[in-house]
Amino acid sequence: MASFSTTLYNTVFKRNSVYVSTIFAGAFAFNMAFDVGIERFWSHWNQGKLWKDIRHKYVEAEDAE
Amino acid sequence: MASFVAKKYQTLAPTVRTLASGVPVASGISFRHAPADDHSHGGPRHDTPALFAVRFSGSAKTSYVTSSPTGVFQQRFLHTSVARRDAPQVPDFSHYKAKDDSVNRATSYLMIGAMGVLTASAAKSTVTEFLSTMAASADVLALAKVEVGMSAIAEGTNVIIKWRGKPVFIRHRTPDEIEEARSIDWKTLRDPQSDEERAKNPEWLVMLGVCTHLGCVPIGESGDYGGWFCPCHGSHYDISGRIRKGPAPLNLEVPEYTIDEGEGKIIVG
Repeated sequence: MASFSTTLYNTVFKRNSVYVSTIFAGAFAFNMAFDVGIERFWSHWNQGKLWKDIRHKYVEAEDAE
Repeated sequence: MASFVAKKYQTLAPTVRTLASGVPVASGISFRHAPADDHSHGGPRHDTPALFAVRFSGSAKTSYVTSSPTGVFQQRFLHTSVARRDAPQVPDFSHYKAKDDSVNRATSYLMIGAMGVLTASAAKSTVTEFLSTMAASADVLALAKVEVGMSAIAEGTNVIIKWRGKPVFIRHRTPDEIEEARSIDWKTLRDPQSDEERAKNPEWLVMLGVCTHLGCVPIGESGDYGGWFCPCHGSHYDISGRIRKGPAPLNLEVPEYTIDEGEGKIIVG
């Protein structure tokens, strides 16, 4: 643990340039991951109500007409 | 404190208050020689403190204090060295202390960095959300698009639709026409453009029906090259909508469009 924290400090935190770049890269990755995760959760929560889930009912009906 | 080995008696000046000048007042003490003192010479004792240091008044009193046998020991209350811990610490925080300083340091930086990540992400979201309020709304975007059913257009026919006030030509090309459009040496043309660049799906050619010369609407399936012909000034376009002959400088413009194979629709816009 101690060696890991020391390695982390030496690689990331020691230089402010590296630290700030890591923060921005992390923010970018976090933003995408957050969006994808929320989207997935929302789709799961609203399963069965979305257009992609009920599309087959209406499109088939149109074809039958 | 260390353990007490012996008791020693000292006379201390019981200072109880301080004068306005800062001199401590020791009342009830006298530095005159005792009558039994053999070395009396009538004057004050040689170890009398100077008047600026302490003011005495009253008679002598002796108080007894317990002092350490090590002699002079002065507790320094202002110090930069680590305080001597010779008694058990109450309360005991050792359980909560980090075993290693580097863990503490890395944790602190990690927390600050995580805060920075969240803040930067939130700031980016705020800015993008604000900018998206300036974008066109979904109904406006929907009005700016035209959907055409692909099944209604037979192979080898033209369809002209209206999109944003302009005619759009859609041609369902036959394999022969595709072959013709792709086989010619397009690098020698006036406006060199390959057929692959102009048609996403080779069977479907979508382009604006506005002659690039002066804006007339060309006539389909005519002209010397089997494509379009502009009746105003005689520009000939080939089966890929490229200018081949006449005054027009450029090929017929290809608008932004997508082909939705699943729905069988071409969406222009």
